[in-house]
Formats: sequence, structure tokens, C-alpha cells
Amino acid sequence: MALRETAWRTFAGELNAAMQEEHGTGERAATYLLSPYGARVNRVLMAGILSTPEPIGKDPAQPFWRARLADPTGTVSVTAGAFQPRAMAQLRSVPAPRTAMVVGKVHLYRGGDATAYISVRAEGIRTIEETALRGIYADALAQSLDRLDLVEKLAREPDLPDDRLGTHGAPAAWVRAARESVRRYPSVDRAAYRAALKNVLEVVEGKRPVLAAAAPPPGTLRVTPAEPPPSAPRPAPSAEERAHESAFLDVLDELVDGSSDGYADLKELVQRLAEHGLSAEAAEEMLDRLQEDGVVEEPIVGRLRRA
Amino acid sequence: MAILPAQVPAFIGGPVPSGGQAVAAESPIAEPTEIRLKDLRASDAPVQIVARIVSIERREYTRPADGRRRPFLTGLLSDGTASVRFTWWEPPNEEIDRGTIIRAVHAQVREYQGRPEVSFGFRTRVTPAGPADLPKVDSEGFPFRTISELRGRSEGFRLEARVLRVGPKTVTVGAEQRLVYEGLLGDGSGLIAFSSWSDFHLAPGEALRVAGAYVRTFRGRPQLVLDETSLVARIDTRRLPPADQLLTHAPTPLAKLAAAGGSESTVVEGLVVALLPPSGLVYRCPTCRRPVSMGLCPQHGAVKTIADLRARLVLDDGTGTVTMNTDRPTTESLWGVTLDEALDRLRRSPDPSLLESSLAEAVVGMRLRGGGRVFPDDFGLNLYPESVEPIEVDADARARELRARWEATDGVA
Repeated sequence: MALRETAWRTFAGELNAAMQEEHGTGERAATYLLSPYGARVNRVLMAGILSTPEPIGKDPAQPFWRARLADPTGTVSVTAGAFQPRAMAQLRSVPAPRTAMVVGKVHLYRGGDATAYISVRAEGIRTIEETALRGIYADALAQSLDRLDLVEKLAREPDLPDDRLGTHGAPAAWVRAARESVRRYPSVDRAAYRAALKNVLEVVEGKRPVLAAAAPPPGTLRVTPAEPPPSAPRPAPSAEERAHESAFLDVLDELVDGSSDGYADLKELVQRLAEHGLSAEAAEEMLDRLQEDGVVEEPIVGRLRRA
Repeated sequence: MAILPAQVPAFIGGPVPSGGQAVAAESPIAEPTEIRLKDLRASDAPVQIVARIVSIERREYTRPADGRRRPFLTGLLSDGTASVRFTWWEPPNEEIDRGTIIRAVHAQVREYQGRPEVSFGFRTRVTPAGPADLPKVDSEGFPFRTISELRGRSEGFRLEARVLRVGPKTVTVGAEQRLVYEGLLGDGSGLIAFSSWSDFHLAPGEALRVAGAYVRTFRGRPQLVLDETSLVARIDTRRLPPADQLLTHAPTPLAKLAAAGGSESTVVEGLVVALLPPSGLVYRCPTCRRPVSMGLCPQHGAVKTIADLRARLVLDDGTGTVTMNTDRPTTESLWGVTLDEALDRLRRSPDPSLLESSLAEAVVGMRLRGGGRVFPDDFGLNLYPESVEPIEVDADARARELRARWEATDGVA
């Protein structure tokens, strides 16, 4: 049976923590992204602040647009191309940040060093009101907590049979996903994600805007190797280095958003990073590394963008 | 209700030699004792049964001996204790109607896929019988089942349920017009549609004990069938939840509905995540209302079509999906565009896909609640809703629930 994939209610923080995929079998098999928090998703429904869309890709015959969807747990790329004409039209229709709902398929691109880049290929995009957003967050929060409860129960007792999970009415797909999460992510700290979900609760309560003043670090940078790399080319970045990295990318994104051509100016970037306490030398070093990692590229000398 | 024509011809199975008598009638073997269908076991020993023909179909096969096409009858027999499939080789030429009660002597019992089946061959003598010949069944002899335990082909059970809806309907069986009583039963475990070939004078609200009925699959869902052999008794009405409690529902999670294979009457809620084709402006055959493509109705050929509006909405609640098919009035109210306005738009910009896009723009993202019968097909669950309403989220109430849940578990996990 070619059953339609359910649109899982989730948040950017969950997608960005997902490093693993499962390929279905058979004809036209779907691919599923497995998260540490109990999701096994092909299609998602998310909501948040959708940034100004930008065209990417160089072939004018194959237009492709991208925006970033930010929610209280993180940020994820949303793309739409010629194969999703309605979604692309919707994405392009509003040339300014807005509150929106996105339905689409998750897509995982793995960089050279096991860094996972998650994007959502949009099928449907709608500008929504605050009440609708709170409603979607309420559903997504309740369902995320249900799934986390399942995962944590199974993490404590992995051999618990389905009928003794004590989760009457939990969809079979969630139980299956929870088992897979426990198996694939044995040592993930799930408490941190719960804490991030508390911000969502406050948005549902109307006590907090979707994006607090201090925006969370962009999601694509949550670099957690899936397996220990066979040969460690360099030590894992320290907490400080990671903070610098995320500051670097924040500023980069800001400059890209504010620019007309979709690039950040290198000089401006270095200047702005100095305000964050990063020396010009350290910034150059950071840039080299991010380029090497395939996170950032410099196609025109002195002009940067995300790869 | 009389099923048999006034004069019942005595049909006799087996090849009848011209001018002679049925061979089986002369069989020297003593008549086998009559046996209930529930007691049938595959064996070489022939049996005698009395049963009603529940369904019957005339088919053909190629006889290996001479390569000629020969007719045979196949269908379902029931005597109130069980139902079994039958095959009748070399049947009489006359039409044998569904509902006919027959006595078959020297029938063979075989087993197919773990269930007994009977076959009537040249040794078998088949004669018409009357309702009085059918076994008397006692409801206590049947094991108790709840509605949620019933599956297609369930039989030989006892059920206690409340009548939620019932109404007569005229159907054509062969050349005959017959009255069936259709409705809905509920027992707290679930709901099931029923169809009764006999008038038990059922009224909504009554509590019943039903035995000797059987279940068939109708449009993807189990349906309970009652006939003259079924036992229907009124029981204390307080033994079952009240009708409004059996019928009114909070929205059912779609994963739960999918696991249950749908529902006879339920409420679902979700966000519209997609609009499936064909949606928007469609053209129908004026006679049968089938969608028509290129002006050709599959049934009625070239027709002058009538324009109509419809929408196939994918409703998704995060646990599953259902395709909700809305009719013209509902589509108009969700879209905010009437059929006439849609036709007018089409005249002004003759591109039907613009209409579909406009409809998609209007409906995707809507939070809707729909009620009605949900049934599965190869692509998932379907709903042709009796009611559809847009839902306003009570975000504050949801926030209070979630806060309470958070406080209850925070620090524990």
C-alpha cells in the first residue's frame, strides 16, 4: 500500500540533532530521518519565523529558492524549486520575514566530516496568525513530549515489549521510531532538548515571542559525529571555538540577509566579528576551517555565503 | 418475509439422464445424519445439511474430460450456527435465488485455507426446504463478542448492542424488489453498520442481544448481516451506554483510526496539508454523477456534463492522515467561492489550474473537524463527511494543559 506519509509535528532543534537516515525498501521507497528524540520522519509540519527568501542555484531555467525557518529550538532551511511550483510561489510571494507554517519533506545532506545539513523541501507554505502558530506549537509540543517519554522509557528498559509500554494509543509508528532512536543514539543528552521545549511552552502560553532576543545558534552547525571518525584529523572544537563558530555564522547570516546579492562582505564580517571579541586573525582561521568543512564558501574573492 | 416464489420447483443436483431419475436418489447408501454447519469437518464421509443460500453466483469452468465449458454454482450457505462456502457441480438450469433454503444430502466436506467448504456433486441430492427445517439456535450457544472484535467473515457469535440508527431501504435482488433495514449498532467498544433482511421492528435506542448473524465486508468495513435465522431479543436498556454517549466523540487520533481500519461514525480533526487532484471544478455525468473526462461517461457514453465543485483534502493530525472528500456546498464555504463564481473566473482566465491553486491557497493550513464514516482503501483512510467545520484553537486552554503536564513531569525526566 502506498500510504501517504504523515506530517510529523516537530521543531528545528529535533531535525538538527538528527544525524541518521533509514532507507526504505521496495519500489519508490521513502527515506526517513531518525532523530534522537523519537521521530522517524519523511514529511514534517513546522511553524516559525520564515526569513526573506533568496534565490539559490545558477540555472535560470531551474529556479530554486531558500529561506530559513526559525522556531524557539533552532533554525532550519526551507527550500522550494520548480518541482514544487505552488510552494515556490508561496515562498517567493512575501519578500519579508513572516510567521508561517511549512509542510514538506526532510532532506539530509552529509558534509565531508559527518556534519549533517538538514533542509525541508517545502510542499506547502502558509502565512499564519499568532493563534494558529500557538495551536501548531501546542500540537507539536504535546506530541514531542509523548515521543520523548517513549524514548526515555525505552532507554531505561530497552527490552520492554510493546504491550507493556503503558502507552495506550501511542501510534505504532512512534513506538517503532522510539526503539530506533534508542538504538541509534545510545548516548544523547535528551534533557537539553526538553529544556529547549520549555521555550516552546512559553510561546504557546503567549508569554514569549517565537524568537527571543538571543537567537539560538543556527542549526546546521550542531556538529555531532554519528560514529567516531576513523582518523581524527584534529581535536574536536572546544566550547569556546564552537561559540565563536556560531557567532561567525550568525553574523554571516545577518549580512547575507541584509545584502542584495546574497553574499556577505568579508571585510564587513571581520569588522563585525571584532565586536564579538574575535580577532581578524582568528576570524581568518575560522573561515579557513569552515571552508574546509564545506560550511561556508567564497565563490567571489571577498564575498562569502553558506555552501 | 417470503423469499421463495409461491411454487418452488424441486431441483435435484447431479446429471439427470434424459427421461430418467436422478442417480443419487437411487443411492443404496443410508442417508447421512443431518449436521450443523458449525460442526462440519473435512472428511470422506458425506453429510446432510439444511441451510440458507446467503450468496450465490453462476460460473463456468472447462471440463478436462472433453474441454467443454460447464456451469457451476458457488456462494455462501448459512444455517445460523455458521456459514460455509459451497460449490455445486452440474447444477440445475433453473435460477436459484439468494435466500433459498435447501437440504443437501450426501454433500462432501473439504477444507480450504483452514475452513470447511461443502461441495455438491453427482451423488448429492439437493431439494428445497423451509424455514422450519433450519436448526433452532439458542443465543446462549454462541460465544460473546464485542463489536470491536468482529472482523469480515465473523459468525457464530452473540452480541449486545444498542440500535443507534435504523431505516428501511428498497433494494433489487435479481428480479425482485426487497426491503432491507439498514442502520448502526454500538456497544461501547465500537460501532458497526448492519443490514437486516428480516423486519425485526427495530427502533433507535433499543438494546438488543443478537445471535446467529454474520459479518461481511462492505466498502472496506465490516457490516453485520441479520436474516430470518438470526435471533434478536430486547434486553435491559441500562446494560449499555446511552445512545448519545455511543455516538458523540471527541476527535479520534488518525493513527488509532488507521489501526482500527476506520469507523462507521467518528469525528476527526487535523490541519489540511494538501489538496489532491481532482479538486476544484469537475464535470459530472447528469445521470450517474460520475466524473466525466473528455465528455465521455464510462457508463453513459457521450453526455452533456454538469459542472460541480469538489475538494479532496488531506487532513493530518501528526499521527496519521485521512483524505476528506467535500461536496459542493462544503467546498464553496471553505473556499469562499461559489460554483458560479468559479465558472465566471474560468471564463475570464481560461486556465482551470488557476482555480485549483486558488482553492489550495484557501484551504491548506486550515484546521478542520469532519464527521462521518471513515473507511480504508489502498491509499489510506477516506472520509465523505456528513459535517465539516473549521476549528478555532483555544490556545490558552491548550497552554494550561501543557503547563500542567510540564509541572507534573518536570524534574522527573
